[in-house]
Amino acid sequence: MPFRFLPDVALADIAFEAESNSVDGLFETCALAITDIMVDPKTLRTTAKRRLSLRSENLDRLLYDFMTELIVMKDVDSLLFGKFRVRVRPEGTSLDAVAEGEEIDRERHGLRNDVKAVTMHLFGVKHEGKTWRTTVVLDI
Amino acid sequence: MPANPAIKQVSDVTWEIPQSYKPGMHVPARLYASKKLLDNMDSGVIEQVTNVACLPGIVRYAYAMADAHWGYGFPIGGVAAFDTETGIISPGGVGFDVNCGMRLIRTNLRFADVKPKIKELVDLIFNLVPAGVGVKGSQNFGQSQMGDITALGVKWCAEHDLAWEDDPQHVEEGGFIKGADISKVSRQAISRGVSQFGTLGSGNHYLEIQVVDPERYLDRDVAKEFGIVHDDQVMVMIHCGSRGFGHQVCSDYLRTFESGMKGFGIEVRDRDLACLPFSSKEGQDYYAAMVCAANFAFVNRQIIVNQVREAFSRVFHKEPEALDMHLIYDVCHNVAKVETHTYDGTKAKVLVHRKGATRSFGPGNPDVPAPYKKIGQPVIIGGSMETGSYLLVGTQKAMEATFGSTAHGSGRTMSRTAAKREVRGAELQRKMLDRGIYVKAATMDGLAEEAGMAYKDISEVVETMDRAGISKKVAALRPIGNIKG
Repeated sequence: MPFRFLPDVALADIAFEAESNSVDGLFETCALAITDIMVDPKTLRTTAKRRLSLRSENLDRLLYDFMTELIVMKDVDSLLFGKFRVRVRPEGTSLDAVAEGEEIDRERHGLRNDVKAVTMHLFGVKHEGKTWRTTVVLDI
Repeated sequence: MPANPAIKQVSDVTWEIPQSYKPGMHVPARLYASKKLLDNMDSGVIEQVTNVACLPGIVRYAYAMADAHWGYGFPIGGVAAFDTETGIISPGGVGFDVNCGMRLIRTNLRFADVKPKIKELVDLIFNLVPAGVGVKGSQNFGQSQMGDITALGVKWCAEHDLAWEDDPQHVEEGGFIKGADISKVSRQAISRGVSQFGTLGSGNHYLEIQVVDPERYLDRDVAKEFGIVHDDQVMVMIHCGSRGFGHQVCSDYLRTFESGMKGFGIEVRDRDLACLPFSSKEGQDYYAAMVCAANFAFVNRQIIVNQVREAFSRVFHKEPEALDMHLIYDVCHNVAKVETHTYDGTKAKVLVHRKGATRSFGPGNPDVPAPYKKIGQPVIIGGSMETGSYLLVGTQKAMEATFGSTAHGSGRTMSRTAAKREVRGAELQRKMLDRGIYVKAATMDGLAEEAGMAYKDISEVVETMDRAGISKKVAALRPIGNIKG
């Protein structure tokens, strides 16, 4: 499983661990985990598309900013996304991404928890052998 | 004796961890807990409260209240006061949901009036007060008004016919904290918040119809000062905060603070404790932005109250004024504020961080509104949706012992995943209905996660604070209808 929830890390909130064999895959997995926390992804169609270009000071910050951007788009544009394509540039400080999803439909979507923010707790991207891994704790 | 031998009993429900507990502590730590609560307190609280004691400029003690549990950096249920010249300010000491707080409204209705209409009432409020993922509020003021709204809070509402004349004085700080500056708030935060006024949110936020519960506790003499004159009077309690606006303010400044600490030579034991001198430009910028978020939260709760008044009016065919739907009070429980306190024989301005803790100012304090001057500030402590809540008052003892602070709620003991393993949302909803509580939830998963068993015993928490003398019980309140975000 590319991400798994960690129930004992933060009692009041939700934590997950994600891994992938590529940095692009790690970002996409984290995005899918956030979606899974907010909505049953099976109920989500892909009728809206957003392109993102982000630049940050390092890879950790880039992932933090990418996840924050998804939370912002949920609040500002009422958009949830179920499909992601992320390309992190080799220097690890910028990315281009395409997110596909749709506007929140309270009748049709299996809505779950509203994510407030990405926290810094235990946060950081690790590259071990062929695996990229991170732990993310979200404030609920 | 407590499991951790470093914890020494000071009195009945007061415990102390000495400065020698870990290197770098500037002050000892104080815990307020019954023996039972202390034995069950997660070890994270002890580590975190002693980490807070290491922060520059902290004065007297780092505190953990009876409802304390692990949080990011500071424990939830934590209080710490810092010298305004030499001390720090920390977004982690306020929390992501700036001015998450409680609001209590009274009605002149009795249980028998509301019981037959509870479903109609809860369903209508559920439609009028949006709750859950990504909802938009009924009021969209536009970005150009955000500066005025976040500077003036409920006062702005009163000036725009969105509050009753006496509403602002029944809100902590008169409905707005001074020192807001919208230019210190990011574009993202404004965009997130602008359409969220009047929304409840998700997580542990709720709106509850309650009845005074004299079987558990009622001090009729003090209660009548709040307009509580019947043993089965119906009240409304609201628990929510500053929504995406506050969350983004915290996220933005955590980033600034984490990278800025090196320049000030500040080292912390946990990156979630990121802090900067209060007197620094960055510290002042965060304070100004955090105040904007706090005032946003006051307005958010005000818009919700307007919707609740509208719902009661429609269901009971009376104007809300005729239903006596006045605010009893509105308290912050995630905030940092400059307050004047007397400690170590000196009167001084300090920056008090309350994270999951409530102001509890006693009788005669100049910041307590005139109607409550004789009895002290109302303190609203919310329990889980199954176990009920409490109204208390602040005390002089709190002014002397805890910088005028007390607990805020019951405190979680079980993870969201574990709660969902224990009970399904639909089953919990049925069981609560059997016990006379009609619940309407944005999601069934969210409902299960907030089951009463996931929380500490609220009565034990309230009893502890009462025994410590830092807030005194006035009335227990039991739920009859609940809207869960």
